[in-house]
Amino acid sequence: MNLAYIASPGDRILVTGSNGFIGAKVVEILLEYGFSKLHCFVRPSSQLGRLEKALDQFDAGENVELIIGDLLSRDDCEKATEGVSIIYHLAAGFDKSFAGAFMNSALATRNLLDAFLKFGKPKRFVNISSFAVYSNLRLKRGALLDETCPLEEEPQERFDAYGFGKLKQEELVREYGRNNGLPHVIVRPGAVFGAGKRELSGRIGVDTFGIFIHLGRNNILPLTFVDNCAEAIVLAGLKPGVDGETFNVVDNELLTSRQFLEAYRKAAKGFRSISIPYPLAYGICLLWEKYSKWSKGQLPPAFNRRRCAAEWKGNRYSNRNLHEKLGWEPRVPMAQAMASYLSQFGTNGTV
Amino acid sequence: MLRVAIIGCGKVADQHVNAIRRITDCRIVALCDRELLMARQLGDRFQISSCFSEVDEMLKVAKPDAVHITTPPQSHFSLASQCLRAGSHVYLEKPFAITAEDAQALIDFADKCGLKMTVGHNYQFTLEMLEMRRLARKGFLGGKPVHLESYWSYDLGDTSYVGPVLGNPAHWVRQLPGQLFHNIISHGIAKLAEFLDDELTEVVAKAHQSQELGGLGAQEVLDELRVLIRDKSGTTAFFCFSTQIKGRNQLHIYGPAGTLSADIITGSLIRNQTRSFKSYLTYFVPPLNNALEHLRNLRLNVADFIRRRLYQDFGMKELIERFYNSIRLGGPPPIPYREIILTAQIMDEIFTQIYGDRASKPLTPMRPEPAVATGE
Repeated sequence: MNLAYIASPGDRILVTGSNGFIGAKVVEILLEYGFSKLHCFVRPSSQLGRLEKALDQFDAGENVELIIGDLLSRDDCEKATEGVSIIYHLAAGFDKSFAGAFMNSALATRNLLDAFLKFGKPKRFVNISSFAVYSNLRLKRGALLDETCPLEEEPQERFDAYGFGKLKQEELVREYGRNNGLPHVIVRPGAVFGAGKRELSGRIGVDTFGIFIHLGRNNILPLTFVDNCAEAIVLAGLKPGVDGETFNVVDNELLTSRQFLEAYRKAAKGFRSISIPYPLAYGICLLWEKYSKWSKGQLPPAFNRRRCAAEWKGNRYSNRNLHEKLGWEPRVPMAQAMASYLSQFGTNGTV
Repeated sequence: MLRVAIIGCGKVADQHVNAIRRITDCRIVALCDRELLMARQLGDRFQISSCFSEVDEMLKVAKPDAVHITTPPQSHFSLASQCLRAGSHVYLEKPFAITAEDAQALIDFADKCGLKMTVGHNYQFTLEMLEMRRLARKGFLGGKPVHLESYWSYDLGDTSYVGPVLGNPAHWVRQLPGQLFHNIISHGIAKLAEFLDDELTEVVAKAHQSQELGGLGAQEVLDELRVLIRDKSGTTAFFCFSTQIKGRNQLHIYGPAGTLSADIITGSLIRNQTRSFKSYLTYFVPPLNNALEHLRNLRLNVADFIRRRLYQDFGMKELIERFYNSIRLGGPPPIPYREIILTAQIMDEIFTQIYGDRASKPLTPMRPEPAVATGE
């Protein structure tokens, strides 16, 4: 056993969302670290390409147990958590409705937590959350956004079902920590990118109106390359002395929205965009929000001040916690990460 | 003040809350879901503090005048019976019941209790459908419809719904006798039922799986359905449900003197009076009339937008408001019971024809519970 970790290779580890963009990478890194008693939880409807590719890289991949189920089923959760010491909970619901997001995030997590306490040997629950839980409404442009920043209090007003689900999920995990003594860590990745995910982050802009509107402009993006992010998550589950901690995950070298978009434009041929400055975007969002209220929802409040601030106001980001408490260093530098991301478009772009 | 409760706090419950909040003189007094957390998340967002996980307790404590049931259809019969027994009027989400027999039993029980029911066929109450109904009643068609056509598209691109359904044979949609069709087609069938006689002489249904759905898995799920119906008086109807024809939710009514075409997606109603024109005028006047009809719809939609009437759930708000008014004022419910039962009968027949034994033996049988009469 590596004494620097709370688990030994003989410990069972459960990864939910293990076929996801980040989840498959987490499985790959756990195998690389020598943890082979893995339970990989996947939905019955999942196409398993990503996960199979990760498992094929390691001989120990053959020993990984695939558990097909639904986290909304308590029976499936019991099956998955039997004898498990660490859970990496990456499964996420991307439902557009608030109820659906809550169900897939909070309710599923509640089932998993109950089963973990009853049937597992809990050493740590690693809850993967998101930057979507933060509110920077009262932060100045360019201010530092770190783990101490306020959380969104009005996700309904922000019209962000995903963020609502993640907020409620975090609340539950902390509640189980307080009331049941569950050792837990919360990880909030920034904008995760890499080959296999072609779409641009909403922090760069939106393509709602038929043409891409670049709103991020000179803002620094809270980027994290998928391999780097996955390793931070793995370490959050293994390092001793971090129970109850929250970690934002961003890489060391960050690009501005403009830099990222330029590189993307070179690789994805035929891509066109228009750019809108933040004050104008804010004004439009304000008008949209007011009209939505006045018209009693004739236009849904898809654009509003809270969302505008969260996505396009622009902040600075820190990964000090990751470095100091987890000893994390990005395994892939930004230039290499961008080359890998852009390679999926057929040409290698440069930043 | 009408006291309203909602049972089932999933996705569609948000729409109900939003629609109810547009109606005056009513208040949501309780939310109930067997997962208390689900009731609370809805309550937190809409400032409704009374949340329950047990229906009996909710009915006893909150004493609602009307209950909206927005749970999976397998639970509709038992929950609706429970609410009726407790003296509450019931709004049931579609499909009303698993079978026509259950639908009839529920309606009989509601009558016996002196209470009202309706079903969530909200697309019957959109602006263009209200206008179509008004014109049909006014005689625009020139008599009983000769032929009806109802098209209902469903986009498989929304994988948040289809994904879990296809991937999980135990999903409640897969457990319905008519599977995917059962949960969706009642909207389109109900539109036909409104204009058909109670007695049908023919229902012919054919279904298959599209290549797109085949690629997504779930071999036994069908997603392309065509139905031909004839009633005793000779009116024929065609129903088409498709995942491959995109964006086409329409009803066409052909009468002896005119045709009405309602398009739910564009909020349009095209009127077409049967008229012949001399010589080459046939090529010029009807296209001009059609263009003017489309322009009229544009003008109406702009006016409705300015008047804030073009919101997404107008049909639901209208149906709920009419249901509440029928409770308050004692009039008939907004959807005649005969239409609810006829819709269920047509669906029973379709599922028997396309799924055979599977449909005639529901996987989750819902037999009528012995009715306990409450005061009228």
